[in-house]
Amino acid sequence: MANLKELSERKELLVGGHRLCPGCAAGIIARQVLLAAKEPVVVVTSTGCLEVATTIFPYSAWKVPWFHNAFENAASTISGIEAAYRSLKRKGKIDKEIRFIAFGGDGGTYDIGLQALSGAVERGHRFLYICYNNQAYMNTGIQRSSATPKGASTTTAPAGTVIPGKIQFRKDLTRIMVAHQIPYAATATAGKWNDLITKVEKALATDGPSFMDILSSCRLGWGHPPEQTLTIGRLAADTCFWPLYEVVAGEYHLTYKPKKKRPVTEWLKTQARFKHLFKPENKGLIDTIQNYVDEQWQKLLKLCGEE
Amino acid sequence: MSGNEAAGEAAIRAGCRYYFGYPITPQNQFTEYMSWRMREAGGTFIQSESEIAAINMVFGASAAGARVMTSSSSPGISLKQEGISYLAGCELPAVIVNMNRAGPGLGDVTPSQSDYFQATRGGGHGDYRTITFGPSSIQELFDLTYLAFDLADKYRNPVLILADGILAQVMEAVKFKKTKKRLPKKPWALTGCKGRKPNFIKSLFLTPGVLETHNWKLAAKYQKIEEREVRYETYYSEDSKFFLVAYGSCARIAKGAVIEGRKEGMRLGLFRPISLWPFPYKALAKLAERGKKFLVVEMNLGQMFDDVKIAIGDKAKISFYGRPGGGIPTPKEILKEVKKR
Repeated sequence: MANLKELSERKELLVGGHRLCPGCAAGIIARQVLLAAKEPVVVVTSTGCLEVATTIFPYSAWKVPWFHNAFENAASTISGIEAAYRSLKRKGKIDKEIRFIAFGGDGGTYDIGLQALSGAVERGHRFLYICYNNQAYMNTGIQRSSATPKGASTTTAPAGTVIPGKIQFRKDLTRIMVAHQIPYAATATAGKWNDLITKVEKALATDGPSFMDILSSCRLGWGHPPEQTLTIGRLAADTCFWPLYEVVAGEYHLTYKPKKKRPVTEWLKTQARFKHLFKPENKGLIDTIQNYVDEQWQKLLKLCGEE
Repeated sequence: MSGNEAAGEAAIRAGCRYYFGYPITPQNQFTEYMSWRMREAGGTFIQSESEIAAINMVFGASAAGARVMTSSSSPGISLKQEGISYLAGCELPAVIVNMNRAGPGLGDVTPSQSDYFQATRGGGHGDYRTITFGPSSIQELFDLTYLAFDLADKYRNPVLILADGILAQVMEAVKFKKTKKRLPKKPWALTGCKGRKPNFIKSLFLTPGVLETHNWKLAAKYQKIEEREVRYETYYSEDSKFFLVAYGSCARIAKGAVIEGRKEGMRLGLFRPISLWPFPYKALAKLAERGKKFLVVEMNLGQMFDDVKIAIGDKAKISFYGRPGGGIPTPKEILKEVKKR
C-alpha cells in the first residue's frame, strides 16, 4: 500500500473549492479513493450531495473525466462507458489502461439504484462502485433510507412520542453484493484512511466488478460538530457498529479488529439523530441495538474464521 | 402553510388514507408532512425506495378500493409514467401531485411549467388522458386537491395536480374544508370475492378488437369529462380588447400585470384556465369573438400556447411570451411585451 509520503506526492484529483459542508466525509472519501488509483480513471457520480456540491457549473472540483446521471443510473451509465472502452480496446483503437469508478450515496445505491447495480455486477463489468453511505437521503433533506440504522431520527421517520425514529434495521448491502459472487467487496470508513486506500487499490486491481460500502458521516443529518467526522468514523469501527472487512472471491477477511470492543452507546451519543434513545423510556431500544450489533459481529467473526 | 403541506392536508380531509411517496426537491415537505400527519389521521404512509415503487403502491391500493395519492416533481413524475398509464388503462382512481421543476434532464430545482404537454397529453404510453388542474394559489391548491379525489372516483381515472416549485414552497393562509366522512362505494374494487362474482381489473386485452372497444369506452368517458369538468376564470373580461392567457403561478404574475396595466389606462384582461385538461377551448373561443389580441404567458417555451391556438384559430391575433428553465417573468416584463404587440 502507498504510504502517507507517497500519497502526499500524488496529484489531487478532487480539489478544494467545492461546496460540500465543512466536516462532510463524502469529500474526504472521494479524494482518498482517487488518490489510491494508479491508472487514469473515469468517474460517474449519481445525483446526491457529492455530485451537486462538487459540480456547480461552470465549476468542477473533479480533475478526471466525469459524468453524471440521475439517482438510479450510475451503475448502468458506467456499464455503458466500460463496455465502450472494452470495445475500443478490442479493436485496437485504445491501448491505455483505464479504471472506472462510480460514486453513489446510499439512496442511489441501496434503494432506487439497486437494480442497476445488481445488473452491472452480474454482467461483470470491470468497475469499482463506491457507496458513500451517510445512512439517509441527505441531499433532499435527511429522509430515511434502507441504510438508515434502527432508531435514527430522520425527517420521514421522525422520533416522536409514539415511534422512536426508524423502526427497521438497515439493509446489509455488502452481503447482497457478495451474493452476486462479486470478486471483491469491502466496507470502509472515513476515519481509517489506510484501510480505505488499501481496499481501493485491491478493488481497482480486480479484474471484474468490485464494490465498497464506505460509512460517510453527515454532520448535518447525523448532528455532530464538523471536527468530529473522522473520530466518529473510527468509533463506528471500534464499537463494531460498522465492522471493517473485505470479501475476496467469497472469502471473508476482517481488516480491523478493535482491541477492546466498545459499547454502542459511545457511538450513539456522539450524534443528535440518536439523542431520543437516551430517554429512560427508550432504554430497551438501546439494548436491542446493542444486541443486534453483537449478533452481527459474532456472525461476521464466524464468517472470517476469527472465532 | 406551504403548498406542499396544504395539498397533503387537503388529501387527508378528502378521505385519502394512503400516501406513497419518495423525496425529490421541491416537494420534500410533502413527503415529510405526510410521514407524521397520515399516521395521526390513522392512515398509511410509506416512503418507497423509488418513484416507480410509489406509483405502483398507488396502483395496488387503488385496485383495492382505497383513496390514495402520491406526489413528486418532474423527473420523478417521468419515472411514474408507466404506472399512470396502467392506472388509466385499468380505470383506477388516484391523485398525483406534480410540483413542476425545470427540465429537461436533471434541469434545476427551480419552478417551471415545462410539464404541461406531459400532463395534458396523457404522459405515458397509450391513448389516454388524465384530468389536470393548474392551481394558482395555496388555497386553490388545497381546494383542487380536495376535489380531485371525488373526480378520480367519479370517473375512475387518475387526476393530476400540476403545481410548481413556487406553489410548493410559498406559504399562505388556507381555509380548510371539512373532513369527508362518507366516501363513494366501489363495487368494482378487489376486496375478496366471497359471496359475489370475482372482479377483474386489467389493461391487457389480447382478443382482436377487444382493446379497440376498451379504447372507445375510454374515449366516451373522456368526452364526458370534457363536457362537464372544464374550469377557468376570467378577469376584466367585460371591456378588455387585449387578453393575457396564463395558468398556475404564471397567472398570478399576469394578474399583477393586468392591475398595473389598468392603472396606465390599458384595457387589459386575463383568461386563466384552471382545468388544463379538459382545456376550456369553448370559453376561450367565445372570448376571442370580443378580444382582439391574446398574449399567452408561460414559464416554458410555449406549451399551453398550442391549446390556445386550437381554441382561437384565426379569430384573433395570438402571440407568446415565455421564460423556460426556471425563469420567472415579472409583471413589468409582461407589460413591456403587451406594449410591443
